[in-house]
Amino acid sequence: MSLLDRKVRGFRLIDLAALGLLIVLIFGVYLAKTLAGGERAQIASVERQIKAEKARIRLLQAEVSHLEQPARIEHLAETYLGLAPVTIKRETTTEGLVDVVRTPPLAGPAPAPDRAVIAAAPTEARAAMALAGPAMPSAPVAAQLLTPVSGVAR
Amino acid sequence: MSLGQNSFGSSPLSRWLGAWVWRLEHAFERARASGRAEDDTRIRIFFVLALFAAGFLTLAFGATRASLMSDAHQGSGISVPLGAARADLVDRNGQLLAADLLHYGLYLDPREIWDTEETRRALRAAVPALSPVRLERALRGNRRTFVVGALTPEVRARVHELGLPGVSFEPEQRRVYPLGRTGAHIIGFADSGGEGLSGAELALNEEIRSGASAGAAVPLSIDLRVQAALEDELYQAVGEFTPKGAVGIVLNVHTGEILGMASYPTFEPGHANTASDDARLNRAAASVFEMGSTFKAFTVAMGLDTGVATPGTTYDAREPMHVGYRTIKDYHAARAILTLVEVFQHSSNIGSTRIGLAVGPERVSRYFDALGLTKPAQVELIESARPLTPRKWDTDAVVSVSYGHGMNISPLALSRAMAALVNGGTMPTLTIRKVEPERVAKGPRVISEKTSQTMLQIMRSNVSDPIGSGGKADVAGLNVGGKTGTGEKYDPAIRGYSGSKQISSFAAVFPTDGPTSAPRYFVLILMDEPHPSANSYGYSTGGWVGAPAAGKVIERIAPFLGVQRRPETYPFARPKEVTELAGGGR
Repeated sequence: MSLLDRKVRGFRLIDLAALGLLIVLIFGVYLAKTLAGGERAQIASVERQIKAEKARIRLLQAEVSHLEQPARIEHLAETYLGLAPVTIKRETTTEGLVDVVRTPPLAGPAPAPDRAVIAAAPTEARAAMALAGPAMPSAPVAAQLLTPVSGVAR
Repeated sequence: MSLGQNSFGSSPLSRWLGAWVWRLEHAFERARASGRAEDDTRIRIFFVLALFAAGFLTLAFGATRASLMSDAHQGSGISVPLGAARADLVDRNGQLLAADLLHYGLYLDPREIWDTEETRRALRAAVPALSPVRLERALRGNRRTFVVGALTPEVRARVHELGLPGVSFEPEQRRVYPLGRTGAHIIGFADSGGEGLSGAELALNEEIRSGASAGAAVPLSIDLRVQAALEDELYQAVGEFTPKGAVGIVLNVHTGEILGMASYPTFEPGHANTASDDARLNRAAASVFEMGSTFKAFTVAMGLDTGVATPGTTYDAREPMHVGYRTIKDYHAARAILTLVEVFQHSSNIGSTRIGLAVGPERVSRYFDALGLTKPAQVELIESARPLTPRKWDTDAVVSVSYGHGMNISPLALSRAMAALVNGGTMPTLTIRKVEPERVAKGPRVISEKTSQTMLQIMRSNVSDPIGSGGKADVAGLNVGGKTGTGEKYDPAIRGYSGSKQISSFAAVFPTDGPTSAPRYFVLILMDEPHPSANSYGYSTGGWVGAPAAGKVIERIAPFLGVQRRPETYPFARPKEVTELAGGGR
């Protein structure tokens, strides 16, 4: 008796197997849809979070850009750290160091503190900055939209 | 073993089901009995089951894929900056200049409000910037009304948490310019509908709008560090000389990229609607001026390029020169016979006139056309102004333009033409877009490379030589060259040129040494009606007003542009002078 003709309680084995497969498949589809629905809801939730975070990141990027305005940084560096733009006279290549040593120092304005000085003095300076707050217009980007910043550029 | 009909129980339903299955089972035998194998029900049932199985397999695969995969790999707009109407604007190094940010508008529907007083108090506390008048109007109305816009997500969340009935929000994109006034004129501004209205926002409007959907930022040519240094030094000079207006431009002479552009007075792009027309005016592109002696660079270049002059050719500048009804005098009268180089250094009107006349009207007009001085500056900026040119190129016109009068051009047009003189002799294409080095296209040649090289030396000598008018622009180790310009302004009140109102400028180039293809930058500082300061001994000429500011700008931006200190050059100086100059550390 071939496998196709074999019967179990009057039903062909192949029919029962096919029926079983059908039930498994129906259950599988149901399960996949149900689980996928849950996954989809979770994905949508994560996407919403990502969108919100992205919006927040963009806002923060704009905020950083606002706070890093060169004019503002320069003003703060001058006011609280006593720094000045590095002049070309204070720059050289490693090959040019020998010439710099041999050449007498050029007359000019008082040199700006070098990076070693900056590194040595940040605690007090930063504390002063924190106490006094930024002197240049530093309203957050969002606040700028509500309150026009006035002031004359230097 | 077989299953009988009775095996299904005694209920009518089970009996019916049993009979149905029984009939189905015996259908095989009936079919076989009739000898029609093609009607064998087993095959048909198997075939139907196989079809069902295939269908369900397809459905299962499709459903799983659609549920789990489709949204994930499409990203559903995550990469797009949240429905922004315009792409970000960044500088050439990626620093943010302008961005669309998600904000919220607050709306009130008084029909849904339970406690008006509570709503009023809570909203005022949560949103301090709320206009009381607007709030009252919304509370007393009878429909949903807009109250305030531009709320950040944080403020929105704060108001939302109050749980006030009748309060709702609508998302809105707002164009934000985080740098305030920095680069205001070149960045420009856009309206609330997402359309650019000036500067790069207008010039690159389509690119910016299409870039929004791709989520790609649009890089401009400017370097924020250069822009900031330029503005800082320009505004310091403005503070000292209190002009009506001022312009600063930094240009890469080879690529034509505008690395910095400043115009004074300025404004804040985020609040452009409150700025005056005068402040919004980009004087670098949209204003035209009689430039004065900076034009002598073109006159000298034309003389050299046509072969009517060499650096050693002499010109009689001992006495004022009479041409038709006009008498040409020198501001810094040398009362001597001057070489071409000395004509440039002394900024001699007489010498320039003689060179211009030797070149002739036809060739002068051809050179001016080629240098782009008779057309609006070729740049993306829509506001690029049309120049005022002589109606007829005759001797009179040549005399005037040879020392920078008789035609008005924009500072950008001047910068472009000057760049052509010092970049090897080809016209650069000005641009506010960042240009990749490999995509720089050579423009048409206007002067020979030899003339360009000589112009670099002559311009350098005008700064390095003590008799030159541009000494105050010198920066040790950068070999700065340049030309001063002081053009008297036409005063309609007196129907003539004013003795007190001037356009003072300095057109600088650095470094002037090396081959014509070496990296090189152009800097223009221009002031409209500057006043003498305590430090300028009563002068407000280009040499006193523009040159020092240009020198300071160059000193500050050189490190950003990768220009390093180099041995100083003293072209056209006698050997004894070279020794003195080099030793003096001037």
